[in-house]
Amino acid sequence: MGNTNCEEIKQQAEQELISVSDKQALEALRVKYLGRKGLLAQLMSVIPSLPVEERAAFGQAANVLKNELAELFDQKQKDMVSGAHKGNQAAVDISMPGIACDIGNLHPITQVIDEICNVFSRMGFSIEDGPEIETEFNNFTGLNIPLDHPSRDAFDTFYLKPNAGSNEKLLLRSHTSPAQVRLMKSRKPALSVVVPGRVYRPDAVDASHSFMFHQVEGLVVDKHITLAHLKGALEEFAKAVFGKHITMRFRPHFFPFTEPSVEVDISCIICQGKGCSVCGKKKWLEILGAGMVHPNVFKHVGYNHKIYSGFAFGMGVERIAMLKYGIDDIRLFFENDLRFLKQF
Amino acid sequence: MKLIYNWLKDFVGIKTSPLELARRLTMAGLEVKAVEEKDGDFVFEIEITSNRPDWLSVIGVAREAAAVTNSKLKIKNEKIKIQKPKENQGVKITIEDKKDCSLYTAKIIKGVSVGVSPEWLKKRLELIGCRSINNVVDITNYAMFTYGEPLHAFDADKLASYEIEVRRANAGEQLVTIDGVFRKLDKDILVIADKQQAQAVAGIMGGKSTEVTASTRNILLEAAIFDPVLIRRARRKLGMQTDSSYRFERGIDTQTALVSSDYAARMIIQLAGGNLICAREKGATKILKKTISVNYSSVQRILGASISPALMKNILAALGFGVKGSKTCFSVTVPSARQDVEEEVDLIEEIARIFGIENIPAEVPYVKPQPRARTRFDIISKTKNILIAQGVNEAITYTLIDRKLLELFSWPVDEAARLVNPLSEEQEFLRPCIIASLVRAAALNLKQKQPLVELFEVGKIYTAGNNEELVLGLVLCGKKSVVTQEAVVNIKEGFLRLKGIIQNLFSGLGIAQPEILFNETTAGFKVKLNSKEIGQFVKVSSAALEAMDVKYQEVYAAQISLEEILMQALPEKKFVPVSIFPAICRDISFVVQENISFKQITDLAHKTAGLLLEQVKITDIYRGKQIPQGCKNFTVSCVYRLPNRTLTDLEVSPIHACVVQALTQALSAQIR
Ligand SMILES: [Zn+2]
Repeated sequence: MGNTNCEEIKQQAEQELISVSDKQALEALRVKYLGRKGLLAQLMSVIPSLPVEERAAFGQAANVLKNELAELFDQKQKDMVSGAHKGNQAAVDISMPGIACDIGNLHPITQVIDEICNVFSRMGFSIEDGPEIETEFNNFTGLNIPLDHPSRDAFDTFYLKPNAGSNEKLLLRSHTSPAQVRLMKSRKPALSVVVPGRVYRPDAVDASHSFMFHQVEGLVVDKHITLAHLKGALEEFAKAVFGKHITMRFRPHFFPFTEPSVEVDISCIICQGKGCSVCGKKKWLEILGAGMVHPNVFKHVGYNHKIYSGFAFGMGVERIAMLKYGIDDIRLFFENDLRFLKQF
Repeated sequence: MKLIYNWLKDFVGIKTSPLELARRLTMAGLEVKAVEEKDGDFVFEIEITSNRPDWLSVIGVAREAAAVTNSKLKIKNEKIKIQKPKENQGVKITIEDKKDCSLYTAKIIKGVSVGVSPEWLKKRLELIGCRSINNVVDITNYAMFTYGEPLHAFDADKLASYEIEVRRANAGEQLVTIDGVFRKLDKDILVIADKQQAQAVAGIMGGKSTEVTASTRNILLEAAIFDPVLIRRARRKLGMQTDSSYRFERGIDTQTALVSSDYAARMIIQLAGGNLICAREKGATKILKKTISVNYSSVQRILGASISPALMKNILAALGFGVKGSKTCFSVTVPSARQDVEEEVDLIEEIARIFGIENIPAEVPYVKPQPRARTRFDIISKTKNILIAQGVNEAITYTLIDRKLLELFSWPVDEAARLVNPLSEEQEFLRPCIIASLVRAAALNLKQKQPLVELFEVGKIYTAGNNEELVLGLVLCGKKSVVTQEAVVNIKEGFLRLKGIIQNLFSGLGIAQPEILFNETTAGFKVKLNSKEIGQFVKVSSAALEAMDVKYQEVYAAQISLEEILMQALPEKKFVPVSIFPAICRDISFVVQENISFKQITDLAHKTAGLLLEQVKITDIYRGKQIPQGCKNFTVSCVYRLPNRTLTDLEVSPIHACVVQALTQALSAQIR
């Protein structure tokens, strides 16, 4: 009779333990069975009323039950701590979508501008801006670009309807370089700045041309600034943005506002120099133009070119973004399709 | 420009392979884009920068090739013999303005037989993409590609007389050019004329009627120098670019003109027969020698590499410069073909090119640390980051827009800044407002069936006086759930979503919250900061949306001027101690008329409860079945707290009762 009772209590405890999932419930159950007024205590309390010959056996059975229950509870507690619900389903279907607030994305162009500017910022450059509506002087003359010269073709420009009563020709800047003129006119050397911004050229829109795009301009002016510094700064930049493994090449080139001028190529990051559709068979990718500030530019802004020297550079942000991310159509940047924007 | 290896080898004794030569030329600034093996020769595709007209010729490239490969040039300039004229047939040249034409030379060659060119000549021209016409025309082209000076041969018998005038075209003057196109000329265009009429557009193309054909017996061979600016303008005006205009625009020197004329004449006589009867030159034939001094120290100062004076001298000499050295500097004489070289730095560049920029060390500059106050860039970055943290995506849209978009958004077309030379009607105007461009971007996404579109842009807008202003644009469309401190809220109210985003932005930037006031004209809202209007909230008209194929959608947008914000943003922060004493919250649910605003409720509660009431938070707003028409049910939570001690229920209960009473009395609220 006593054994039957004990067996029932044990089974009941096992049953109830299954659904227990937290400490409090376990504790409550422990009290229910093993507490001072628990089921086991009640069971023991009948011992004195039993015939003497049964007492020992009953007491023994109750003791066994007590130990078994204690073990059950201990085991349950261990299982709960180790979190092992062996064979059971997890409480949560973790394959469901996670729950989080939506966050937006910075435009890839902004991300690339930030990355470029951060590299130079770490070298001590400050980040400035300049207006998009510019004067002919700042966009051309001040930069040693003669008004009627073939070099102007490279900087074909949108002109604005002039203001009433004004003869000053205004235009949408065709490069960020007019910011150089502005900064040098308003400040004394030494200068070390980068200027990101939008620029405009009358180019028909296709996969690789846009009438609006972004550039980052850079300018350093001080005593003793040399072409060696230009190379050093731009190598730091290219390795930071495109990776340490790239190789670089500085080709002499022509820009009216710098001399000597260079175009800077990096080894193709797509084919690693085997030749591909992006680099052609050249294995090099042109990423920016640069050079030593032309003495005529210094003359225009009132810097003494015998004392000061400097280097300047300019790069197309879309081009760099396209190379970095493998984007093959410049128009994607300005369509703002969320399926595009969300990728970066 | 195309150029062939063997043609180059006529003038320079190079042993370097075509590919290696291409690499060396590229690294010296003459970028070889491609090398193609064709018909037993190699065709180089070269990109020539606009400052180096001398490279637009085989001889120019040969000079460079000699310098970069340490090879010998093989250029001989032979003078040509002029036969005694059999008849007295001199040419008379009149130049109207020496500024337009500084030199004009004419040679009369009589008795030529015009026919096909020899195979080698045809092949060379064809390899560089020039169609063979006949021996005389081919030779003028061949001489042009060799020397860089464009030449022109007239059928001398078709000229009215041997009197050449170089003058501006008369008003209304006309000419059919060799390409068969009828050209209207004007005073901005320079022409070569006989006594009667224009016979060629100077420096660009000859006339059809004096073209050299199979029947031509006598020719007038022209070599001249025209003003580059004039040629450039005329070329643009006439909309035609030729190999000739391309070279004249970039500039040609006297020496080249004289030498190539002789070269072509000699070749014509060799290959087409005939005799040189007369040679005339008018204008400046003397070659001015420029001398520039180069300090050794300047080279080091600009390049940052130490190059020995001996090496500098070798480099300059190899490029054809005359060099005389002293202790500190060179005196450099510039060859006439190098009109681009004007000052010391031009020669420093020459030294750098041939020395090899790859041989100049790279050195990270020490940049003087700038006083790094927060810049506009930093604040704009922060602005963008606050916006993306709220789930809004950054867009970049075109700042140039079309008339249609202006009209759709009811912007007065006359007041918009406008381009003089737009590429197309699509990009004629500078946007006066950022909203239109963003709505267009939103429309594209809605057409892609995006359920939720929230975009922002930081960009410029422009006003009639050609001024620009940096603004923030926002556009919202679609349903969104937002988790607030109290609950997950489904946003249907676009204006409140705009308000929420802007409020987060302002507090993130540390600026006082803006006032948002109803705008009767737009039925939207004005945003004011320090009583200055800085922006607008609008609901986009369904007409504008429908024009963009967007139907059954509500689109909300905002434009906020950033100039004021940039001035005030990110002030120094001050810590306000947080209360360590617990709050007591009491909820009230009540029905009020629809016209009662939340602000009226909170104002009244604060007025009634005084300092004990810390905040009134809204937990729910409900309109529906159990609520009478024209009413709404608010559930608000009044948070009572003191900064310096714990409040008791006994203190709060009577005050809260007063709040409840005030609501029922002043706002006719029905407590539920
Ligand atoms: Zn590649």
